[in-house]
Amino acid sequence: MSGPAFRSTPLLDADAVEAGIAGVAEGIRRRHPDGPLAVVGIHTRGVALADRLAQRLADRSPPPDRGALDISLYRDDLDNLGTIPTIRSSDIPFPVDGATIVLCDDVLFTGRTIRAAVDQLIDYGRPACIELAVLVDRGNRELPIAATYTGHTLDTARTDHIAVRFRETDGEDAVVLLRPEEAGS
Amino acid sequence: MSAAAAPLPRRKDLLDIESLAPEEVVQLLDTARPFKELFTRSVKKVPALRGKSVLMLFYEPSTRTKTSFEIAAKRLSADVTNFAVSTSSVVKGESVLDTVETLQAMKVDYIVVRHSSPGVPNLIARHTRASVVNAGDGHHAHPTQALLDAYTLREVLPDLAGRRVLIVGDILHSRVARSTSRCMHKLGMEIGYFGPGTLVPDTRPDFARGFTSFADALAWKPDVVYLLRLQLERMHASFIPSLREYHTVFGVTPARFRQIRDAGIWVMHPGPVNRGVELVDEVMTYERSLINQQVENGIATRMSVLYSLQPVTEARADDEGAGP
Amino acid sequence: MTAPLLFKGGRIAAEDRPDLIEADVLVENGRIAAVAPGLPAPAGAEVRDVGGKILVPAMFDVHVHLREPGREDKETIESGSKAALNGGVTGILAMPNTEPPIDSGGMVRFVRNLARDRAVVPVWTSGCITKGRKGESLAEIADMREQGAVMFTDDGSPVSNPQVLRRALEYARTFGAILASHCETMELSGDGAMNEGRMSYRLGVPGVPACSEEICIDRDLALARVARGRIHIQHVSSARGMEIIRRYKEDGVQVTCEVSPHHLLFCDEDIADFDTHYKMNPPLRTREDNARLLEGLKEGLFDVIATDHAPHTRFEKDRDFREAPFGITGLETALISLYDRFIRADAFGWDLLVRRYSAEPRRLLGFDPVPIAEGGAAEFLVFDPEAVTRVDETFMRSLSINTPFLNRELRGSVEQVVRDGQVVLDRPAGVVP
Repeated sequence: MSGPAFRSTPLLDADAVEAGIAGVAEGIRRRHPDGPLAVVGIHTRGVALADRLAQRLADRSPPPDRGALDISLYRDDLDNLGTIPTIRSSDIPFPVDGATIVLCDDVLFTGRTIRAAVDQLIDYGRPACIELAVLVDRGNRELPIAATYTGHTLDTARTDHIAVRFRETDGEDAVVLLRPEEAGS
Repeated sequence: MSAAAAPLPRRKDLLDIESLAPEEVVQLLDTARPFKELFTRSVKKVPALRGKSVLMLFYEPSTRTKTSFEIAAKRLSADVTNFAVSTSSVVKGESVLDTVETLQAMKVDYIVVRHSSPGVPNLIARHTRASVVNAGDGHHAHPTQALLDAYTLREVLPDLAGRRVLIVGDILHSRVARSTSRCMHKLGMEIGYFGPGTLVPDTRPDFARGFTSFADALAWKPDVVYLLRLQLERMHASFIPSLREYHTVFGVTPARFRQIRDAGIWVMHPGPVNRGVELVDEVMTYERSLINQQVENGIATRMSVLYSLQPVTEARADDEGAGP
Repeated sequence: MTAPLLFKGGRIAAEDRPDLIEADVLVENGRIAAVAPGLPAPAGAEVRDVGGKILVPAMFDVHVHLREPGREDKETIESGSKAALNGGVTGILAMPNTEPPIDSGGMVRFVRNLARDRAVVPVWTSGCITKGRKGESLAEIADMREQGAVMFTDDGSPVSNPQVLRRALEYARTFGAILASHCETMELSGDGAMNEGRMSYRLGVPGVPACSEEICIDRDLALARVARGRIHIQHVSSARGMEIIRRYKEDGVQVTCEVSPHHLLFCDEDIADFDTHYKMNPPLRTREDNARLLEGLKEGLFDVIATDHAPHTRFEKDRDFREAPFGITGLETALISLYDRFIRADAFGWDLLVRRYSAEPRRLLGFDPVPIAEGGAAEFLVFDPEAVTRVDETFMRSLSINTPFLNRELRGSVEQVVRDGQVVLDRPAGVVP
């Protein structure tokens, strides 16, 4: 797709990203000082976030279990895909029944991805509870979904593109706003 | 693996292996893996095809393939309908397009078709918006069998390039031989054929080498021996003199089985097996027999196929037209 | 009578001349009154400017299935004759495999009467060699001849029993009648639906080996030699089969043979996606057979080109490949497709086409050819070599549309057809019966 050109505006730098993750980790720690806990990331950047959180919570007892979800099979827009989606393996190596799960994603937007991820988790078993951790909540929800832990809240327009970049996946920590160039259309 | 490759466009139908590019074969096999992982979950179903309808159009009885497709479709949350084809009430073949017209009105999204005549799935595909999956058409093709064979083999031999498969038996009348050899060839395998001269035609593809004895064929050091099912009626049309002679010359006898086991060769068979004809009983319990895995992997592979195809939906067809 | 017709500025094709000759042609009283450059128009003459066009003796097709009586939904004598005219063919020989078959004097008379009443070009008929085309006992060949049958054949099937064919050859010899053979060894053809080869293996379609045809050609010619009979081998599809005929011709056996446009133009690879418009019997063979048959045609081994025009309903051809019937139509596309693919490509000239598809077919049946020459019958075409014919349902006059050229375009167009001194087809004027 050769979409319109984008103007990129930095919103959060590396320190702010790190601070956001630290805040989320702190929130989880306060709410769950001990006992079994699992952090499950949604491919791709949700997995990076889950990994960072797991590192920060590694001194907890016990350390959190980790998992990854590919929600492709739970998407509601298969009809619109012209290419075959590459499905990554979903990896939930702990028993889901009775587990406390923190679902992790980089951005919370319409809520549809989270809906799909929750549906998928429930198909693995019956967790005791599912919470949601996001680095950025950018509003514009289409479903009644809210994050339990939020790193940053940003006020955005529906048409904005918010890109989260992580060292592990993109070589730097940053959040940028991509706005279509206002070409005289 | 295929991570760096550009995303492949979704095709409408799966009619044969021949028209697939090697990358498409790999993509379909890679996509089958996460589906197989689902089978270990408590809920084995995903909502990927929720609201879609899959129609099973089987002009030829086949419990195995049909059940496999049904389970695959249901695990994708599609609605499955069986279209009862009574071959006795209509003149054979004549009803195909009439039936398709009816199906078109039912607005099904996927049609899984098996027919005794080659090319019937192609015919249906040309006349319907639904995605057509060939579940076996005469001697022509059986692409999902080929994919599940390749999938099964990749589980034990991750890189198939340069590996050798010896296909034994009735090559002439076998859609499995046609599709599976093409598929394995596309994945870089070397293909050998061994069987009676009446059943191994000279018109086979160039890539398949022939052998004149089982000993020669095993001396070629195949990694896999794929035994084809012998239709017992071949005996009546002078293709072979007797089942006894077939087993002696072309079957896996106890002596040949020892050779196979000693060489660590994997054994495959599309089923159902004629014991004592293609192979002796011991082969069934051989630790390198893949015969049972083939059945299980059939579901994951067929899920991958259904998931990857793209029917022309009513909505999309309208979008392209001058819809409201 | 009708006014004289003067065709001005055309180029004339002939069987004995590779070049086209520029000349005007004057038609008077049904005959060609003069052929010369710069002819003045007689008083009252209608002058037709045919500058840039080619005048070609009209075609004659000795192998046509008209389906009447029995399958008038596929073709009738009337519709088939219109298809012929549309394709530039002004005489056709119907095959007798109708339902019921044309195997008696009464049936021959019935068909001849229908033809006289309804056809727009002369329609001749053949009769069966055996009663009911069953290959068992001889049909009344003398009676059918008396009623006007000009050839005898069980076309659609071979006469499988060699003894029966030998008797037929001997019996027909009495009257100098000509037998025509559809060569096929049924046991080898079995349930085959296309040429046996790589393509049939790939598609999983049962094959008909070329030797099914070759063995039967050899057998029929051996019988013709013994019986000292006259035999015509129909629709030769295999290069080896052609070589067998060459050998017997050199041995002095009275054999003629035909090749169909589709066996020159197409091969089994064209079946690709199970397209039933490439299913016929004998089947399309290989690309190499195409090339060698074309060589044979240029060498003069094939006496005639004939289409084996075989109409089938859309419903039948829409069935799966194995179930669909054998045969494609040919009358309306033979001339333009041979022009488009061969003459335009300089593979052969107009002289070959005129000889093999106009003159020799007439001679084969004992009729006079129709060269464009002073004093001759006025039976010719005005062919536009630059116009394009789109072979669609609007164009076709046959009741069936089972041709691989369906909805395709071919270069060349039969613009006018003159017969008995009248313009019976005038495409630019919208007169196409």
